[in-house]
Amino acid sequence: MKAVILAAGEGTRLRPFTVSRPKVMIPIGNRPILEYVVRALAANGITEIILVVGYMKERIMSFFGNGSRFGVKISYSIQEKQLGTAHATLAVRSQIKDDFILVAGDNIIDAQVIADLLNHKGGLAMLVTDSEIPSKYGVVQIESGQVVDIIEKPDKKVGNIINTGIYRLPPTIFDHLEKGIMAGKSGITHVLHSCMPRLKVDAVRSTGRWMDAVYPWDLIRLNEYAFSLSGQETSGTIESGVTMRGPVYVGAGTRIRAGCYIEGPVSIGEGCEIGPYVTIFPTTSIGNGVHIAPYTYINNSMIMNNVSIGSHAHISRAVIDDGCRIMTGFSAPSGLAQVRVEDDFFKVEKAGSMVGEFTQIGPQVVLSAGTIIGANSRVGDGAKVSGTLENRSLVV
Amino acid sequence: MCGIVGYSGHRRASEVLMEGLKRLEYRGYDSAGVAIVEDGRLVLLKKQGELEVLQKALPKFEGRTGIGHTRWATCGRPSDRNAHPFVSCDGKLAIVHNGIIENYTALRERLESEGHHFTSETDTEVVVHLMETHYTGDLRQALADTTREIQGTYAIAAVLEGSLEVAAARKENPLVVGLGVKENFLASDVTALLSYTNQVLYIRDGETVSLTPKGVTVFDQDGAIVKRETSVVTWSAEDAQKGGFEHFMLKEIFEGPNAIHNTLLGALDLIENGDVIPRMDFSSVKLVACGSSFHAAMVGKYAMEEFAGIPTTLELASEYRYSPGTREAPLVILITQSGETADTLAAAREARRRGCRTLAVTNVVGSTITREVDEVLYTKAGPEIGVAATKTFLTQLLAMYMLAIRIGYANGTLSHDAMRSALSSLRQSSNMVQSVLNHMHEIEEASKMIDESEHCFFIGRNINYPTMLEGALKLKEISYIHAEGFAAGELKHGPLALLDSKTPVIAVAIKGDHTYEKMLANISEVAARDSPVLGVGLEGDTDLSRLCERMIYVPPVKPVFSPIPVTVALQALSYYVAKRRGCSIDKPKNLAKSVTVE
Repeated sequence: MKAVILAAGEGTRLRPFTVSRPKVMIPIGNRPILEYVVRALAANGITEIILVVGYMKERIMSFFGNGSRFGVKISYSIQEKQLGTAHATLAVRSQIKDDFILVAGDNIIDAQVIADLLNHKGGLAMLVTDSEIPSKYGVVQIESGQVVDIIEKPDKKVGNIINTGIYRLPPTIFDHLEKGIMAGKSGITHVLHSCMPRLKVDAVRSTGRWMDAVYPWDLIRLNEYAFSLSGQETSGTIESGVTMRGPVYVGAGTRIRAGCYIEGPVSIGEGCEIGPYVTIFPTTSIGNGVHIAPYTYINNSMIMNNVSIGSHAHISRAVIDDGCRIMTGFSAPSGLAQVRVEDDFFKVEKAGSMVGEFTQIGPQVVLSAGTIIGANSRVGDGAKVSGTLENRSLVV
Repeated sequence: MCGIVGYSGHRRASEVLMEGLKRLEYRGYDSAGVAIVEDGRLVLLKKQGELEVLQKALPKFEGRTGIGHTRWATCGRPSDRNAHPFVSCDGKLAIVHNGIIENYTALRERLESEGHHFTSETDTEVVVHLMETHYTGDLRQALADTTREIQGTYAIAAVLEGSLEVAAARKENPLVVGLGVKENFLASDVTALLSYTNQVLYIRDGETVSLTPKGVTVFDQDGAIVKRETSVVTWSAEDAQKGGFEHFMLKEIFEGPNAIHNTLLGALDLIENGDVIPRMDFSSVKLVACGSSFHAAMVGKYAMEEFAGIPTTLELASEYRYSPGTREAPLVILITQSGETADTLAAAREARRRGCRTLAVTNVVGSTITREVDEVLYTKAGPEIGVAATKTFLTQLLAMYMLAIRIGYANGTLSHDAMRSALSSLRQSSNMVQSVLNHMHEIEEASKMIDESEHCFFIGRNINYPTMLEGALKLKEISYIHAEGFAAGELKHGPLALLDSKTPVIAVAIKGDHTYEKMLANISEVAARDSPVLGVGLEGDTDLSRLCERMIYVPPVKPVFSPIPVTVALQALSYYVAKRRGCSIDKPKNLAKSVTVE
């Protein structure tokens, strides 16, 4: 069976982490979200994968190539304009002859999710799961194993079973999609919903893990979860006098200097230089080529590639994107905060700071809990920052 | 420069040979041909033009033994007649050849006087007639005897009517054997073999080899059997496919950050621990290379002087070989992506003859140069298929910086702290490149400024002078626009006279560099001649953007490391210009990937 993965969208609510990559390429536990999806498919013997790409497609193509690194064959279908999931799926019509699996590339899933769908006997099926925040998704009404209604992002409580956006579809679906698009429907769900009484859609409850990040602070939660999925190992150079407890992964070419205290789960990428005397607490992932200077404390955070952090920093529940340069004495604690994303405000407990790529932060800068700084920004010496800052902000 | 392949086994030879030739097309493609032992008889097909012409004309041969060739003309113009393979007068022997036979005129006169009939203008044809005179029942022996009479460089493969054997010989041209089960392969380059096997034997200079479906035997110059260890290639054929990108060149530009990461990963520890250049028994450095690698060497000169304060000279490999040499022996650093560049190999031998310590920077593990030098620093860019060097050039820059930093620390110019801080800056370079790639659409837009020009100038100063030479080389290589790079200070000594409103000038000025103000003055001079200026500078540099018609921005970077992001921006610019002009980007006319002729 072939699988089609939808990976063309940006994921605007996760800005600034999507300014130069699509949501599917955000690294969780040091791997792109999409890699979890590809591996879940490969684990179930699905080796022919069509990736529908669009926004920043080169990031995906240069990482996955033709899929041989993951034991699968990947081909690409390019959706130049993001006109919705129905349109994206229709674009692969010529390559599909039999039943196929359709997956959203931007959710972390495990192999069980796909296995459940494959084990289901029957035709068209939608994978559903329980959610604690059903109001963000399409809530599904089920009667005797079949989907009878889908209520998109309901304001009031109508149930907590949601559509995961993972389907098993017969090739006849393309005719429905075509008609649906003509009638002005852009999403697969809308098309299915409109055909519903005539078209039988089975609901398959998954016993596996399905996780989604909607807002930047969700990334920390996903990161914690990701560590439970991966078996890990240690290479690189660990100088004597380093204490490591629990599962700690260290990539090739990384040097952990004397006096560091690292409590796992922690994942450190390749070619990093950490310490001396750096403290890292769970659950933290650190990308490739990261430099962390002495006496810095990092707790439950995501530090992406090529970040440089000066000495005496305190970083808690933060997400720091590629190429940021942070000088000495940086303070970014976590706490209760009111955070703005697009035009909505959210009350977030234990919110850390979010820093977009290539931002430069001068010495002795303090970020209040829940601060979001856009990409390519510059924060001057000794500044105190709170709230949400756009890309290319200048703080003096 | 050509590509050769050979096969002896259980599959249809024509299919294996065509597959191999496709992978070798980057080595040259003005004509191609195959010779196959069909029902015991030798059949031959050769065609001028791209490989597809041959593919279309190829009947369904059943033979299981054969040789093939894709040609890049060096002696005799491209034509059906001059295409390989060549056959002996009696039609029993066929050969293909990569290289140059230097004494072919004398040999040809002799052979013609003995009654041999020549059908082409090539140097190669003498080989097959010589073999005919030496053949007494052993194909490989005939080839070995023939090589004793020829002067020059070669990789030769031969087949014989009624035989399953493929014989081959090598001198200063690459040749590799692939080992299969009841089948064996031969090629100029491992990429041609990877679809079938990853077990290979590298054939060395002066050796001959015999392949049959049953086995492979390697002989040394004196005819004694050589035991050669099998190497395992870790690249896969898939590594060399386009993976969704329109061209290999674009794919390889996007692989830049990863290539840099891998190169640093393999080398940073070696540099920090002093495993590379362990002793400082030299007081000057000489950098030797050809083509794009020479531009990397030029950047290397600035880096050596900046980080190590050591006198550094540069020489083109083809010139160094014939230069008189100096009293003091410098450390000679040779740079060749493929490790097979004929001039650079010859320069390495010459350097050792002169008693110099030698270090090679190359991308190919096990390539010839690695056996010719004292030390090797590998760039780990992975296979590069596009003829235009992109990610491999970037990693050569990295190698230059690392060596400069290593020498600087070893000779006391850099403190331990300064060395670590410099290496730490290098770590940022993969992200620097990623940041340029994230703004590709801006570069694509900027390409519209150039794509209709006939001439184009690239100017820069200091460490970005070689960057601009490379920028110009890249543009002319793939877009066929006449492009020249100049040190900006040299403009007023002549080239300024060539400027007009139809000649765009690409100018790099990195704020913070001590030549920045001078660059701005040069750009003003250019703008005053009505030339449209495309500026390359740091994000937010309004002093520069005010003088330029358009800008390409690179992320903030220390001036000494600025060639890294600037190079990527210019590679992308050339790519988009060539694409707009509809050029054959991965296979520019008249060019070949690695130049194994002198």
